[in-house]
Formats: sequence, structure tokens, C-alpha cells
Amino acid sequence: MSVRRTAAIVRKELLHIFRDPRNLFLVAASPAFLLFLLAYIFSFDVTQVNLGALDLDHTSLSRHYLASLTSNQDLSLVYAASSYDELLPHLVSGDVDAVLVIPPGFADRISAGQPAQVQAIVDGTDPFSGGQAAGWLEARSSAFVAGTSTLRLPGRENPVEVRSQAWYNAGLESLLSMVPALLAIVLIMPTMAFSLALARETETGTLEGLLATPLRGSEYVTGKLLAYVLMGLISAILAMLVAVIWFKVPFRGSLATYLLLAGDYFLACMGAAVIVAVFVKSQQTVMFIILIIFLVPSFFLSGLITPISTESIGSTLTSYALPSSHFVEISRVVFLKGLGLDYLAQPALVLAGMGMGALILGLGLFRKKIA
Amino acid sequence: MFNRIGNLIIKELIQLGRDRLLTAFIVLAPALQLILMAQSIEQGINEQPMAVLDLDRSRLSRQLTTALDNSEELRAQFYIQSMDHAHRLLDEGRARSAVIIPAGFAEGVESARAPQQILVVADATNTMAASIAINAAAGVVGRFSSDLARSHGQVTPEFIDFRTKVRFNPTMDIRNFSIPAQVGFIIYQITLAVAALGLARERELGTLEQLMVTPLRRFELALGKGLPAIAIGWLNFGVVWVISLTVFQVPMNGSALLLSILTLLFVVTVVSWGLVISAISRTQQQAILFVFIQAMTDVAFSGFLVPVKNMPNFLQTISRIVPLQHYLVIIRSVMLKGAGLGSLVPQVVALVGLAFFMGLVALFSVARRVE
Repeated sequence: MSVRRTAAIVRKELLHIFRDPRNLFLVAASPAFLLFLLAYIFSFDVTQVNLGALDLDHTSLSRHYLASLTSNQDLSLVYAASSYDELLPHLVSGDVDAVLVIPPGFADRISAGQPAQVQAIVDGTDPFSGGQAAGWLEARSSAFVAGTSTLRLPGRENPVEVRSQAWYNAGLESLLSMVPALLAIVLIMPTMAFSLALARETETGTLEGLLATPLRGSEYVTGKLLAYVLMGLISAILAMLVAVIWFKVPFRGSLATYLLLAGDYFLACMGAAVIVAVFVKSQQTVMFIILIIFLVPSFFLSGLITPISTESIGSTLTSYALPSSHFVEISRVVFLKGLGLDYLAQPALVLAGMGMGALILGLGLFRKKIA
Repeated sequence: MFNRIGNLIIKELIQLGRDRLLTAFIVLAPALQLILMAQSIEQGINEQPMAVLDLDRSRLSRQLTTALDNSEELRAQFYIQSMDHAHRLLDEGRARSAVIIPAGFAEGVESARAPQQILVVADATNTMAASIAINAAAGVVGRFSSDLARSHGQVTPEFIDFRTKVRFNPTMDIRNFSIPAQVGFIIYQITLAVAALGLARERELGTLEQLMVTPLRRFELALGKGLPAIAIGWLNFGVVWVISLTVFQVPMNGSALLLSILTLLFVVTVVSWGLVISAISRTQQQAILFVFIQAMTDVAFSGFLVPVKNMPNFLQTISRIVPLQHYLVIIRSVMLKGAGLGSLVPQVVALVGLAFFMGLVALFSVARRVE
């Protein structure tokens, strides 16, 4: 393998990228642009629960109870029904997450010192929202009891208290947690551009021209890969600038470590792309494969929102087969925990292994294909 | 006219069939993707590994540790001796939270001086996991505390007997929530990708000019390109939907006919978006870039990863033009809640409007771009 010929391919690729502004945007600027778009959608800390209520008691105590449930902005009474039959359609259409039924005689029972039954019907289709609604309603109902109690006993009512601390992100702000993780998703774009560049050369027939020169297959692939990894690192820096300057996410680690591991991530993704390129004849097939294998699963399996499950081997393997799962972790650790390579040896080595393995296999297959 | 459109459709299908890899992908990938994604859906929000620093080492502190370990969300995995060790475990990400029971805890509770404080520390690089751990620990300690108060002869008077009933998904099974959504994502990505490339590819390869010298009219061209994509999307729906019912046992409580018709409407909308992308891009690469930006924002806006009602108002307004968002509500409501047309009026109106509007834009833009 000749360094000079490989360098020539790198130069040719960089020329291609810089000559066409659209290509330049795709490779260098699109991650920053997408991060900007996605971060807004993914970072809200408010959870809203909509409640429908049927108050059959109509007393000031029952109204007081309802008011105490909805005194915070996060739980709001959006529908007050006058009969039981009205409630269900609202639950079916999703206007409300839960409905609450206060039976007749609610106030009478409480003043007689007996517990009054209140029923909540929760929409379980979204277990996260449903669980939240059920939890809040129950907690606030018992808080209401304590609040109205005239029989408050002195002293040891609450022998144990909890104090909590959120480390690395003291305000528990989801923006700070999401932006570093989203970087892993948007940095799929340089890989996309690399695979397209490989496929385009096959599709338009210019690969044949190149192969008629003394250039070897491995030099061709390596040169292209180097050019796109280089551009990928530039795009990573641009996206980091958006994260740090626009979204004010603290960057506590070292830039050199981050870029080294980003290069590692690109190597793993682009190595896989080389294998794909051997089998693929057209750019449209490349797009399908990257969309279906990398992009869409990365949203769900990479630990972006909830951590990766380790409960079953199947799910763990599926998740860790995706390079983005490793980079989600790396990105969060370097940004928020500020730790270095010694803590990230495992994901770094896995990515490097994936990248080298895929590249060796890809180059072998490529040589066979052009031979 | 029908003859000409028919011929074009046949041409499209032959062309697709010639790329074996692409055909295999379009046919097999959806089913494979659903099976892989569904495996990994049990995400790691339960049984999160926790470190316990018990400085009291009393019977009471062990009881508290057991109570924390017994909760669904937490698992006491590391019993440690020092705060430094807790710090290291959280840094490495091996524990996601740590609970610290101070020395003199049991004695303090017995002597009933001030309330005893338990410290819970959580790794907030992932805010969702951290909030779940903190809330779970607070809940366990709260119950532990009131049990203690009760056993010391304090009777907390109970005023409200609060009962919760969960409808539509009584066990709050997360699969019943995610799998219908995955069905939506899968048909969305395939349909958009198939529709977006047709014209751009012909233009880039120069075959569009040949088509234009035939008697084919421009709207016939749009229909001939759109109909195969619609058919592919709809067939894919059939396959993944049947898998979700048979392999994953997702309940189907509503009308299959209604769901199929509304799916067709959704597919038409997505194909129209795709045709517009195809018409306005000059090269395949540009079309692919648009598809990726579109896919990322649509997945983000879909309401699956972040509920739409938690977004600020201006983003909620934007999300109304995202067909995927309406479709996910439809498929979830029909399958789990058995919703009929009556309770889906807003979503159906939105989809009909979007299909009609985007369809017109697609016809118009294809016609204009071809000139």
C-alpha cells in the first residue's frame, strides 16, 4: 500500500467535498444543524397530566379536594363531567390521562371519621404517563388528608427523611443529558455521506476509471475513509460548538479525548459502511440500509432516553451491536462526568474492534470484488 | 391513460426487482426490525444497580436496605465501605445510584429526636433514569417511615380510600405501548424512502428525459411513481401488523378495516411528502439528505419518545403537521382502546387534510420540476 497514492485519494475526496456546497453541508454542517433541531424537541422537564373528574358529591370539601389535586401546574383538570358515561369517551380519545370519580357522601363520610372511597381510572396505553398520573393522584390524595387533618399528632410523625442529590447534572436538566447523547445520533451523517460517496463512484462508473490506474483497492478505500473521518471530526467540532455555545452544556472532559473517541466511532460506523458498499450497487439501497440499520434503531436502542436493559441477553446484544450505543455513553461521560480514557476503555476498545474488524473484512471483500 | 400509468407501474416494479438486495431489504427488513426492536423494548428502567453505604450497620438499616432492594426500580448490588467507593462506582457507571445511611441512624430513630436523614445520590447523566431512581427511593423510604411511625403507636388517620384502576392496558405492559408505535415507524421509513428517490434517481441518471419524450403526461408520471410506493407501504403494514398480533400478542380491540383504511391514508400522506422531496432535489444525494432530516425530526416529533403534551405550545403546533404523530395515536387507540372513528376525529381530519394537501403539492411539484 503506497502512502503517496492513498494521500492522492484523500486529496481528491476533499476536493470533491469542498467543490460542491451541498456535499459540504451534508458532511460537515448537517450534524450541527440536526442537533440544533432535535435538542429542542427532546429536552423538556415538564410532565403534564390531564385529568377528567366526576364530582357526585358537590360539597365544598369535594371541591377543595379537587383543587388540592390540581394546585400544581403539572396536573390540570381539563374536563368536569356531569355523568359517568361522559368520562369514557374522553379517556378513549386521549383528551385525559386519568379520570377521577368522587362518590356521593364523600364529605359526610370524612366528617364522620370514616375513609371515603375515591376511584381513579387511568389510561394504561402509555405506561410512563399512566404510571405518573396514578402516582401523583395517590400521593396528592394522601397529602390532602394530612393537610386537612385536625387530629395532627405531635412528634414522631416522620422518623426518616430522604435527601437526594443528582450528580454530574445537579439540576436534573434533561437538556444537559440529551444534547451529548443526541450527538451520537447526528454524527451518523458523515457515515451516510461516506457510504453515498462509495456507492456513487460505483453507480456512475468512475470507479472503473480509477481502477484502471495503478491504484489498489485498499488504497482507494483507505483514502476515502481518511477523508471522511477527517470531515467527520470537523462536523463533530461544529456540533460540539452548538452544544456548548448555544445550549450551554458544560464540557468537562478533554477535547483531545473526545475527538479521539469520535474518530473511533466514525471508524466503527464507516468500517461497517465499507462492507455494505461491497454488496450495494446504488445510492438508494445505501440509504435504505443506513436508515433501517443505523438511524431509526439508534433512536430506540442506544440508551438515548432510558438506559440499555441488561435483563435479557438478546436485547443487550442488539443494543451493543449498534456503534451509537457506545458513543451515547462516551459522549455523556466526557461531557458531564469529565472522565478520560481510563474510564472509557471498554466502549473505546469495542468501537475500535468493530471498526478494525469491519475494515479488514470490507477490504478483503472489496479486493475480491474488483479482482 | 390507465394503460400508461399501468405500464409505468410495471416498469417501476421491474426496476425495483432487478436490485435484488434492495428488494430483499424492502420485503424482509421491516419484519426483522420489528423483531429486533421488540426484544430490546424492556428498557433498563427497572432493577437499576444501586450501591449501599451503610454506616450504621444495625438491624433497622438492613431492613431499609432490603426494602429498597425489593422495589421494582432498584437493586442493591454493591455493599460498600466508603464514599470514595460510591464515587468510583458512579463514575464508572456500574451503579446508577447510591444510598447512604448515616451512622447512628437506628439510635436516632429510637430516641425520636429530629428525623433521621437518608442520602440518595443518582447519576443524572441520564435524567430519566435518575428521576426514576430518586422517586423510587423516596417512595420506599416514605413507606418505611410511616410503617415505623405506626409501629411506634402512631396511627396516621386515613381519610381517603384511594383505588386505582388501569384501563386499556391493565398490566401497563410496555410492549403494548411500543410495538404499535414501532409498526408506525417501520412503515413510515420504508414508504418515505421508496417515494423520495424515484424521480431524483431518474433525473441523475438521465432516464427522466427519455420518459418525457413518451406520451406520458406529468400527473400520470406522479401517479405512476406514487402508487407502487403506496402499495409497498401498505403491504409492509400488513406484514408487521400480523407479526405484532401473532408473535407479540398485542391485543387488537378495534376494527381491522378501520385501521387498514387509516393506514392507507397515512401511507398516501407519507408518499406525497416523499414525492415532493424527490421533485425538489436535483441529485439523489440531496434527496437522501432531505429524507434523513425529515426522518429524524418526524421521529422526534412523533410523541413516542417525548409525549407531545409535554412540549411547549409552538412545538405542539408544529407537531400537528407531522403525519406520524397522528398515526401513532390512531394505531394505539384502535389496537388497545378499540377506538372507533368517532373518538379519532381530530387525527382523521388532520390526516385527510395532510394527505389531500400534500398530494396536491406533490402532483404540482412533480409536474413543474419535470418541465
